[in-house]
Amino acid sequence: METAVEARGRATVVRITGSVDGTTADQLTAVFTHELAAGHTHLVAALDGVDYTSSAGLRVLLGAVKEARSAGGDVRLAAPRKDVLKVLELAGFTGILKVYGDLESAVAGFGA
Amino acid sequence: MSAAPARRRKLAVVIGSGGVKCAAALGLRQVLDREGIPIDMFVGCSGGSIYAATAALGFSPDEAREAITRLWTREVTSQRRRRALLELLLPRTFGFGEGFGMRDDRLVLQRLRDGFGQRTFADARTTLYVAATDFRTGEQVVLSEGRIVDAVRASIAIPFVLAPWRVGGRLLVDGFLSDPLPVNIAIREGADVILAMGFESPMQSRLTSPVRFIFQVSTIMTNNLLRSRFAFTSHAHHSEVIGVMPEFRDRIGLFATERMPRIIEDGARATEAHLPYIRRLMSDGAG
Repeated sequence: METAVEARGRATVVRITGSVDGTTADQLTAVFTHELAAGHTHLVAALDGVDYTSSAGLRVLLGAVKEARSAGGDVRLAAPRKDVLKVLELAGFTGILKVYGDLESAVAGFGA
Repeated sequence: MSAAPARRRKLAVVIGSGGVKCAAALGLRQVLDREGIPIDMFVGCSGGSIYAATAALGFSPDEAREAITRLWTREVTSQRRRRALLELLLPRTFGFGEGFGMRDDRLVLQRLRDGFGQRTFADARTTLYVAATDFRTGEQVVLSEGRIVDAVRASIAIPFVLAPWRVGGRLLVDGFLSDPLPVNIAIREGADVILAMGFESPMQSRLTSPVRFIFQVSTIMTNNLLRSRFAFTSHAHHSEVIGVMPEFRDRIGLFATERMPRIIEDGARATEAHLPYIRRLMSDGAG
């Protein structure tokens, strides 16, 4: 798994590529922890490059969401592939998170 | 000082309710067998209990398919119980009670006995748990001892169709009523990696009869129960819950055993999608 972080308006975009699973969970946790510690609480996880997700990987996202919301921000998901979206739905994420079809909409969702 | 060797992760296969669609579990087993990935525990619910039981008892996927094709036919639930209609129409006169079922269950019992004989959970080569539901309290009941026939009969006691079944003093009905995909049992029994094969029920295409109407209501509730329980257990587990949810190309009836070859292929394909990750998990060890 690889990640890249960029600032986009009010949002900080975490682009994720590869597999979000138990073997990459620690790496992804470190990225979110670093951004949140830096005060970047309006996060967008860009998932168009994610080809696999598992429950252990998704728990990382859940942890980041809780921390971001506690700090007055949020984590939003952008552009998941069909298979990944199905896993997100089954795991209940689409009921508690805002999921956007594309990155621009997710960034715009945080306002200018 | 040398580090302690990594503990092998304990793998459980959970097979949820889904009638003949549960045959997809045979495809899952074929893939794991081919890869030499050992299964430490089977959990079955409703139709899934039949597949879990045959697997745990050591039936090969081919043997299981053959046995289940003989067992699971439309004939087993087409045995009308004449008095049932009278019990529905005049409950006081004809004594409607908690043991109600529209169908005569003698044939299904006979078929289960043909398939499982007098085997008990103690005869299982792999640990087996079967989920049912306490009809009086609604609680999930986990069966892990006694005759396999009794456990499976209780787990497939579809409300209104087959009468509830008494096991150990409790009146039990179909496991799907408490959880259509009981991942929690595998978690509680110490599994690390859990392959959860579940099946959402299809919606009715037309609501043109009271029966279809009731099915639609039941489907909505069951699918939502499956998702909410699956979501909770996925987040609560310390390791991995991998949802293996086959996508079927078209609608599959409860007893469409002629479709089994395709269903098994669909199950194998759904498992293959997770295989690279399962291989990595099982080769890493739990540390």
